[in-house]
Amino acid sequence: MADENATVVLDRVNEPPAQTWNRLRANDITLTVPKISRKGDVYFALPQLFSRLECGMGEKVTDWVTSQAADARYVEVRAGEKRTEPIVVAIDTDKGEVADTGVMVRAGASVDIVVAAGGTGAAATTSASLLRVVAEEGAEVTITEVVGVGSSQQHLESAGVDADDDARVEVRQYALGGGTVAFGTAVSLSGDRARTNIALRYFADGKDHLDVNHVVRQRGKNTIAHVRENGILDDAAEKALRATIDLVHGARGSKGDEAENVLVFGDDVVNKTVPVILCDEDDVQGNHGATIGTVGPDQMDYLADRGLSRKDAEALFVRALFEDAIINAPETHAHDVAVRQAERVLGAEVAHDFDASALLAADEEA
Amino acid sequence: MADTLLDVSGISAGTEDKPILHDVNLKVGAGETHVLMGPNGAGKSTLGHVIMGDPTYKVTSGTITFNGQDITELSPDKRSLAGVFLSYQAPVEVPGVPLYSFLRSISQMRPELKCTAREFRRRVGAIADELNLDQSFLMRELNVGFSGGEKKKIEMLQLLLLQPKLAILDETDSGLDVDALATVSHGIQRYRETVGGALIMITHNTRILERLTVDRTHVMVKGHLVAEGPASLIDDIDKNGFERFESQAAGEGDAR
Amino acid sequence: MTKERTQVADVDRSLYDFTKSEEGYERYADGLTPDIVRAISAKKDEPQWMLDLRLKALDEYHRRPMATNWGPSIAGLDLDHISTYVSPKTKQASSWDDVPADIKDTFERLGIPEAERESLAGVGAQYDSEIVYHNMREEVAKQGVVYTTIEDALHDSKWEPVVHEYFGTLIPMTDHKFAALHYAVWSGGSFVYVPEGVSLDYPLQSYFRLNAQGAGQFEHTLIIVEPGANLHFIEGCSAPKYYEANLHAGAVELFVKDGARLRYSTIENWSKNMYNLNTKRATVGADAKMEWVSGSFGSHVSYLYPTTILAGDRSSCEFTGITFSGATQDLDTGCKVILNGRDTTASVSTKSISKDGGINTFRSSVVVGRHADNARCTVSCQSLMLDNISRSDTIPAMDVRNPTASVGHEATIGRISDDTILYLMSRGCSEQEARTLVVNGFANPVSKELPMEYAVEMNNLIKLEMEGAIG
Repeated sequence: MADENATVVLDRVNEPPAQTWNRLRANDITLTVPKISRKGDVYFALPQLFSRLECGMGEKVTDWVTSQAADARYVEVRAGEKRTEPIVVAIDTDKGEVADTGVMVRAGASVDIVVAAGGTGAAATTSASLLRVVAEEGAEVTITEVVGVGSSQQHLESAGVDADDDARVEVRQYALGGGTVAFGTAVSLSGDRARTNIALRYFADGKDHLDVNHVVRQRGKNTIAHVRENGILDDAAEKALRATIDLVHGARGSKGDEAENVLVFGDDVVNKTVPVILCDEDDVQGNHGATIGTVGPDQMDYLADRGLSRKDAEALFVRALFEDAIINAPETHAHDVAVRQAERVLGAEVAHDFDASALLAADEEA
Repeated sequence: MADTLLDVSGISAGTEDKPILHDVNLKVGAGETHVLMGPNGAGKSTLGHVIMGDPTYKVTSGTITFNGQDITELSPDKRSLAGVFLSYQAPVEVPGVPLYSFLRSISQMRPELKCTAREFRRRVGAIADELNLDQSFLMRELNVGFSGGEKKKIEMLQLLLLQPKLAILDETDSGLDVDALATVSHGIQRYRETVGGALIMITHNTRILERLTVDRTHVMVKGHLVAEGPASLIDDIDKNGFERFESQAAGEGDAR
Repeated sequence: MTKERTQVADVDRSLYDFTKSEEGYERYADGLTPDIVRAISAKKDEPQWMLDLRLKALDEYHRRPMATNWGPSIAGLDLDHISTYVSPKTKQASSWDDVPADIKDTFERLGIPEAERESLAGVGAQYDSEIVYHNMREEVAKQGVVYTTIEDALHDSKWEPVVHEYFGTLIPMTDHKFAALHYAVWSGGSFVYVPEGVSLDYPLQSYFRLNAQGAGQFEHTLIIVEPGANLHFIEGCSAPKYYEANLHAGAVELFVKDGARLRYSTIENWSKNMYNLNTKRATVGADAKMEWVSGSFGSHVSYLYPTTILAGDRSSCEFTGITFSGATQDLDTGCKVILNGRDTTASVSTKSISKDGGINTFRSSVVVGRHADNARCTVSCQSLMLDNISRSDTIPAMDVRNPTASVGHEATIGRISDDTILYLMSRGCSEQEARTLVVNGFANPVSKELPMEYAVEMNNLIKLEMEGAIG
């Protein structure tokens, strides 16, 4: 008999490859998650090779998800196939759904993968998505993750990608708020000339807690990694972001860069940023940067000239972020999550205003 | 023709991926002024770099003889000390290294230029004046934050200081305003007058050549030296462009 | 050519790598027991509070674990075999003539007396566990400046309460395991007091020399710069090469009062068997300024992060550092800045060079407190890889809790570009010379912040590192 209220504590979640002073409390996050016993049940599991992938939130989360998710979903995109229909992982966070997905993208194939996690936010639940992707030689993978959950909900969003020679991996992430949201993303550029772009946009307000771990391992020769995080923190939101560019020995000719830009609006915000470059090879270029602050004086002056107060200017940045999420949502689930969070933060009128413009734009394109 | 100073004989060279120069032959006599012209991407700069010994380019056949010595296998520093100078199209910035101490050390490396600190100061000062360079430049970091024109002047400063037997000026005139162009061409003239060294001018622009007596003109197209002639060839190119040479090169390609 | 290089290397190494006999020295048993701590305290004839503090710290030391999830390994450090107290048989002198000949010879080779004559306001020289020489110019003493050892200050009824008030308050013994160790067995170091409004024209300098094999040096430096005063303090460190691990676990507590300015320069050239686990911290008052200039060249393992607490409004700090890590070295260095006052500013600029399998880690933290309105902090960090067997990691952390603050960080890692080498070679520099030139240029922003003789020493150290490894 499964105990409905059983929980388990996952510690050292979202732990980066290299850590720093524990006193800063920025090395990891500890999460308490439900534990359903599935002893004796037999479920469909992913092929063994997926277990070798490094996932951003770490092994404890991987083990927990695989033990909770019932059937895993395996999708294979055939060599050379240009799949137009996206692979969608839709998670109803109100129901505390947990998904375990593995996608094998064969040589030269291309695919869009969408993870959309959201709900109305009434129930205190924990949901999770574990996405593992193998991108073979020359494959092109675009992953879009849109997460927006209620203020009493918790969502774990873990991903691991392995990219072979000449593969391209685009990761677009929208963390649109919620009680506790954790994103962990690990991309291994294992093959020569493999490339990845990771772009995270986030918004957190109230007492939201956002925790992010980005890891790019550059192993092949002449690989390129480009990681960007842009976010807004309001009220008493807390955010920790760890972003690691790991230039592994042998990654000759590789370039990796990472930059975070944080706008802090709330008086009680706690923002932690730990950008890391690990470099074990000389013929490489590694760069990172971070800027943390509020709307710059030059920008503010300009906007003031257009009649905007500081509050108006801040609102403008928040609107722009949600607008981006809504307009770029690749399918309806992701779109709905973005709209729902926009309604909560900006009010229905504003949210539907973008939506209408998005529709108009789509019509014009068609 | 004066005694041969530089003899590029049957040189083919390129990067690992692709051949650029094909069987190039070029002789420059001591004290002569040669002009190397050709459309963009013809391989002119590559030839300059190959003569300097840039390891980016691999010489697959041929030899380069300088001042009677086979320098094909020599590293760039040895060629420099032997008297070859290459003025860069885009001189590299070296943060933290003051220009003055850099000039002092490259000058002290050459036995023929060794001198006291006082004498050196005077010489550099005189050359800087000649080039309308403010003395404060000497205390700045090598090429760091210099404008394009300033960088080219610093190249001329090194040319006049090191007094090489052969100077290869790679597009030294490109991107300069009228004043800087005048200064740079004054520098080149001073080099001709005071050092009497040989010159290979790589250029698109014929203006800088107006005040120079040119001995030979060479035309390069697609890595081949396709024509050689007297100074008057420059006027011809000025009027008619490279088209004739290009079609000629294409024709040769077809014949093969 | 090869011969010339060896000569350069030999000359330079002999500058630091000579040892003197320990015969006749007082050397306490290895290991850490309350008895040893009591013996050190008794030898120094300390007030009871200091002995109590030492014993408490020893407890703390035994209780505390080392963090295992970050930092270089210190597995090679066996504290049961480190002698915590080694004293030469000599009294502290105020004239070099009164210093025993072999010790005087050591400092002469390091150029200390010469520098004192030419450009310093005062000098302290520590040999193993005790200060052997201390002197300050008369005109400086007349202004009320105190530069002495903590031991001497504790025996002076005027200064004992001051030491008691400040000692161990900025770096608590609970800070980390080696801070606790430090407080248990500290010996030597400096006490500096600069009265209100006094500005020293020349720097004060302390030089620390660890001669004994398998020993530790645990000096404590306590500097108080009163309001509006101005001091430049220089710290030099070196040790000969042994094959047994040596340990340096000093502590530096700097109190920079309102409107004061303190510049603290260090050139550290410990030998490559040294574990350098040093703790340095400054608290900075309103409108005051703290400047750190730090060069780390030596030691086998370093954990070194000078910390600045910008407590007062409009206080500021600048940190300029360079770390050169060569064969067998694992140097984890950087800094911490805590911005608590309003309108505080901090600027951090560091460079690191990795070569011959050396490991460099830049580690920093910038913490902006809730009340630090308009705090500004920029961190810039450049790392140079000189070959593909070395390693360079950059691990900064930022914790910002004020919406009006602005924090920027940027870091780059790479090698010297082929274009740069080619350009310099085309002007006649050999590849070796070109690389040395570029590395010296890279280090230039740091060396230009150092006093002349230290800048020269640093350039020599770089030259030695660049040349020594070839062939």
